[in-house]
Amino acid sequence: MISLECDNLFSTWREQARWLLSHQVDPSQVSWGEVQAADLFATDEPIPPGMGPFQARIPKALLQLLESAACYQGDQRWSLLYEVLWRVSHGDRTAMLAGDKLGSELQRRIKQVSREAHHLHAFVRFIALPAEAGPELPEYVAWHEPAHDILKSASEHFIGRMGRHRWMIATPLDGVYYDGEQLIHQRQCPEAWQQLAQNVEDPHSAMWLTYYSHIFNPARLNPKVMEGHLPSRFWKNLPEGKLIPGLISEARTGKQKDGQAKLVGAKPGKRILSGQG
Amino acid sequence: MQLIEKLSILADAAKYDASCASSGAPKRSSEGKAGLGSTNGMGICHSYTPDGRCVSLLKVLLTNFCLYDCQYCVNRRSSDVPRARFSPEEVVTLTLDFYKRNCVSGLFLSSGIIRSSDYTMEQLVRVAKLLREEHDFRGYIHLKTIPDADPALIAEAGRYADRLSVNIELPTDASLQTLAPEKQIGSIKQAMQTIYTGEQTVLNEPRAPRFAPAGQSTQMIVGADDTDDSTILHGAEALYGNFKLRRVYYSAFSPIPNSPKSVPLAAPPLMREHRLYQADFLLRSYGFSANELFAGPGDLALDIDPKLAWALEHREVFPLDLNRAEPTLIARIPGIGLRTTQRLVDLRRERKIRFEDLARMRCVLAKAKPFFITSDYHPQQADSTSVLLREQLRDRPQPQQMGLWG
Repeated sequence: MISLECDNLFSTWREQARWLLSHQVDPSQVSWGEVQAADLFATDEPIPPGMGPFQARIPKALLQLLESAACYQGDQRWSLLYEVLWRVSHGDRTAMLAGDKLGSELQRRIKQVSREAHHLHAFVRFIALPAEAGPELPEYVAWHEPAHDILKSASEHFIGRMGRHRWMIATPLDGVYYDGEQLIHQRQCPEAWQQLAQNVEDPHSAMWLTYYSHIFNPARLNPKVMEGHLPSRFWKNLPEGKLIPGLISEARTGKQKDGQAKLVGAKPGKRILSGQG
Repeated sequence: MQLIEKLSILADAAKYDASCASSGAPKRSSEGKAGLGSTNGMGICHSYTPDGRCVSLLKVLLTNFCLYDCQYCVNRRSSDVPRARFSPEEVVTLTLDFYKRNCVSGLFLSSGIIRSSDYTMEQLVRVAKLLREEHDFRGYIHLKTIPDADPALIAEAGRYADRLSVNIELPTDASLQTLAPEKQIGSIKQAMQTIYTGEQTVLNEPRAPRFAPAGQSTQMIVGADDTDDSTILHGAEALYGNFKLRRVYYSAFSPIPNSPKSVPLAAPPLMREHRLYQADFLLRSYGFSANELFAGPGDLALDIDPKLAWALEHREVFPLDLNRAEPTLIARIPGIGLRTTQRLVDLRRERKIRFEDLARMRCVLAKAKPFFITSDYHPQQADSTSVLLREQLRDRPQPQQMGLWG
């Protein structure tokens, strides 16, 4: 049994996999573990240094699929990829296709990863730091908790979106900071970034919260569909998350009869005479 | 009036417009540039409200003052609702604030008709122009187009907006005359034609100023009148054909406060709306025609989806052999979508498709099972009558608590 550790870096895993494959090491003979776990399994086979004789040919598209699936945080994160690589390089392309048992799992992971990248694009909420914070600090900060290892690649989206503004996204694991010119990724998010993103005050959030509660149509209440699209694990980091239970119960206790928000209904109305405007 | 109060009134007034899409725009980026915003063709839903609808854009009316008296509309002039009006600068401020927070991908601006159609349209265009030219805003802009507005104003709107839309409002001319007598089907279609011509003019002209690159859409209110689904979908099919609309949105009529007697005061027909969207998708992406979905006048079934309904009426086509059938036919199998079809085609290039492969794909197997053959499977249900199959496959309503004297 060969135990490897790739520090959760695709580039490292790729070198290891290339080397294993060149020596025709069967997937059942190799595993990737966490740093500590790897030490438990002393390698009981002599590992030949340098590349072996087997020249694998793999389709170009496979590498992209593997890199994408590598962002998935879960069991067999790296060994599953090696198994796919092994089968495809030995002529069985079904290992990368949905329908095949392994291929379906690969595709499922890719789907989860791209969904999580989309969640980042959608659910990150930037809060402006006070203007006097100075040019050393970002103008906008956000705290986000992604389920997969997508921050580095997916956060590039915000470079185009935010122009020259400086912004930072901190997570429990890693963090990114865009200083107006380049994107800096820290694999271990500095504590100062985490503090900044988690403790920032947002004195101007009322507009967004007002919008959110007034664009909701209580007559169409459908919390199940909402939760399918906006999983509840995100609610705690969304400013509007705290409004959701109240809006649901208000709709259930009578507001469902028409679409108007309660506060608007309470205001005096105004009919318009024909010809006036 | 405070900005926040205006926002509450003008968001509340805008919620009856179904569309909130931010897709279809060309690739734009603010990297290294002054200004703000990007688009990449894919829409982003930044939040969802408890009605299950996506919040992608700041969707507001410029004003809910309105000269018209459309019966289905909460903002009609005889409606006793609070009224407000934003200045163009206020809409710009809100859009940029929400955008920087990453709460929206842009703006969807509509308005009640004030003074005249041209004046109203000018105001809408002014907001878009301010955003684009004063603030270098590169996010998504959707402008509602006022039907009677000067074509020159519509052309100007097309230069700033990604998407334009004119609401068809109701499925038939007769309904429009009854419920929205101040609107004319002629001028609605004329505006659609103006937008369509604008799109065609810049097509294949890379140097021409852009014109509504995300195309045009429309909205039809369903359930405010008694038009049937067949008429609705034949109408939609004509709109897709005549004006190359990107989308027709169906909006289940949602009861409004101070409802006039001319429109129903009932819960919005959400299931009917859902079936219409499913059928619309079959028209746009699956190669179905409205005539295939309807043998004559009538409504879509509520208890089965329209593709299953079609399959049950066309049993002679099935069961299809997944290892041989044309992809367009595979996509007609109930429970098998376009993506699964593509996956089946990819897989069968490598080896024979087996039953268990389907179980591992994301299709609705129970629905699909009677309609396909694989190398190791032939459906027992192939000989069941359609009546029996429908009984087995239909959606069952959630059990309801019976009334005490039910």
